[in-house]
Amino acid sequence: MSILVDEKTRVLVQGITGRMGAIQTMHMLKAGTKITAGVTPGRAGSRVEGVPVYDSVEEAVAEQEINTSVLFVPAPVAEASCVEAIDAGLKLIILITEHIPTQDTMRIRAYARSQGAVLIGPTTPGVITPGKCKVGIMPTHLFAPGYVGIISRSGTMSYEVAGMLSTEGIGQSTMVGMGGDPIVGTGLVELLELFQKDPETKAVVIHGEIGGTQEERAAAFIREKMKKPVIAFLTGKVAPEGARMGHAGAVYFGKMGSMENKVKAFREASVPLAESPGEIIGLVRKAL
Amino acid sequence: MGKPATMKPQVLAGWWGKAGDIQFANTPGEAARIVEGILKMPIDGQTVVEVLVEERPTIQKEIYLAIRVDGAAGGPLVTASLERLGDIEVEAAHPEKVACQHADVFRGLQAYQARKIAKSLGFSGDEAVKLADQIYRIYQVYARWDALVAGFNPLVMTQGGNFLAAGGFLEIDDSALFRFPQFRELSLSRILDPLAREGRTIGVSYVGLDGDIGVICTGAGVGMATVDLISKYGRPANFLETGGGITEKQLADVMRLILKKPGLRAVFLNMYGGINPIHEGAKGIVKVIREDKVTIPIVAKAIGNFQEETWKTLEEGGVTVIKTIPTDGAVEELFKRLKK
Repeated sequence: MSILVDEKTRVLVQGITGRMGAIQTMHMLKAGTKITAGVTPGRAGSRVEGVPVYDSVEEAVAEQEINTSVLFVPAPVAEASCVEAIDAGLKLIILITEHIPTQDTMRIRAYARSQGAVLIGPTTPGVITPGKCKVGIMPTHLFAPGYVGIISRSGTMSYEVAGMLSTEGIGQSTMVGMGGDPIVGTGLVELLELFQKDPETKAVVIHGEIGGTQEERAAAFIREKMKKPVIAFLTGKVAPEGARMGHAGAVYFGKMGSMENKVKAFREASVPLAESPGEIIGLVRKAL
Repeated sequence: MGKPATMKPQVLAGWWGKAGDIQFANTPGEAARIVEGILKMPIDGQTVVEVLVEERPTIQKEIYLAIRVDGAAGGPLVTASLERLGDIEVEAAHPEKVACQHADVFRGLQAYQARKIAKSLGFSGDEAVKLADQIYRIYQVYARWDALVAGFNPLVMTQGGNFLAAGGFLEIDDSALFRFPQFRELSLSRILDPLAREGRTIGVSYVGLDGDIGVICTGAGVGMATVDLISKYGRPANFLETGGGITEKQLADVMRLILKKPGLRAVFLNMYGGINPIHEGAKGIVKVIREDKVTIPIVAKAIGNFQEETWKTLEEGGVTVIKTIPTDGAVEELFKRLKK
């Protein structure tokens, strides 16, 4: 088992003929992901890495088995592309695209929810269930199959956590990149709920950042409902107030979104906090 | 203007500014002296370059209103109060003083919701209708200009029962600038740190810090973890995150950018090759080391696709390369080298 993606996942790549879409399609295929179709308007009939390209999601869905879409489309057309996938009946949308206007993201998120679709991202590295399926841009060799779930607000930090665990012989059930924007399709609490229900996940590592209140809400959820061990690592200690630290969502004003609030929330929920990336390993070993 | 005036320094300092910053004048001479004083006095480290001078209204009531993104609800939240509350925690502690309405992301704030805010602030009759109209309009501005935040600071009700925006704020989403190319230059000019401004033109995110270890990272999460770790042993000079899609030229520009900070003792690179071709980036770094004859220690950790090629390029350029994953070990190595 795993969450969100597994051997039954059949992937559509929206924006497959773009520079990034084409390269990442190659990497995903190499990782064993079953990509059945791609979409770029006006490019029907061509192929990328042997994958057939269609003009629209509707046409791709009519001819191929598809249950998940991953998007590498430019930010200005992200909203329209997500709506197209949702209208074609797809229930898992993984939005890799960065720099989407926040008001667009709000509408994408609300529309996905109203149609019963799960949106991951935007600004996400994607989702990987090592050994089974990779829908995203993460370096495959850093991941190994196993029993630890990872949720991260950052791509690079998720690679570091997975890479360290794999080196130590600790595999991962699924890694989900939650995304670094102020609005995310699926939040920390919802992802913890999924890992809670997954029988193969024995512990979860969370990488949180300054900004927003997701970590605080997750801490409350862990205290009240989570039955599996959770280890947290937080970044942004030295960030000056009001500075956006690379991610649009990694910014705090006053106490709102501050490191102080998040540390306090996790301590109150008795969640072990790693002081540095290296400390995560010891805490995971202890939890297992 | 021949009437008593209000003078308000305009700075990019949060939403509400500070009460003490506003001053009043009765004569043109007095106004000139005050404005001169304001221009000489930095606020939150910023030199004031703009002062809003307006007729001093006869204030009956003040309404502070903000529209912001509520991550938990996934949509815009409008809050209003008769007091300058500002800090969200303070607002949470006094829910009786704050009127809140969530706007629907598709239909926007509805007129009835604006009227509800006006009523719960204690307005009635004509005054409530006029206030609701102002609230509705500022929401239209927020939506029209793809804002992250917008608000009145404050909206005042004059003795005559009219409403006047005495101050306001609007932060347009940088990601929406493709819709408003007319603001690109303005947006750039509003970045006060010249190095951060240069970072924006190169297409990376730079935040100046007060230390002497230059930092380059290819992702925000690892970038933050890196500056946090460096601050355990010393002081980072900057946070810099390239985002996806680096090139040889971009990393050369980035390297030259961080080397501009005076007194730098070392440079630390933390790179992951997922979406980023780090072997291309490495060529840019080495090019600058050679061309600009960089002599301070450069330590790099590089992991991911094309890592062997990246290591080779960096080592040939004289960079100390760390090939293991935890950033902890790489930062420790950097400080060991600095002690020698």
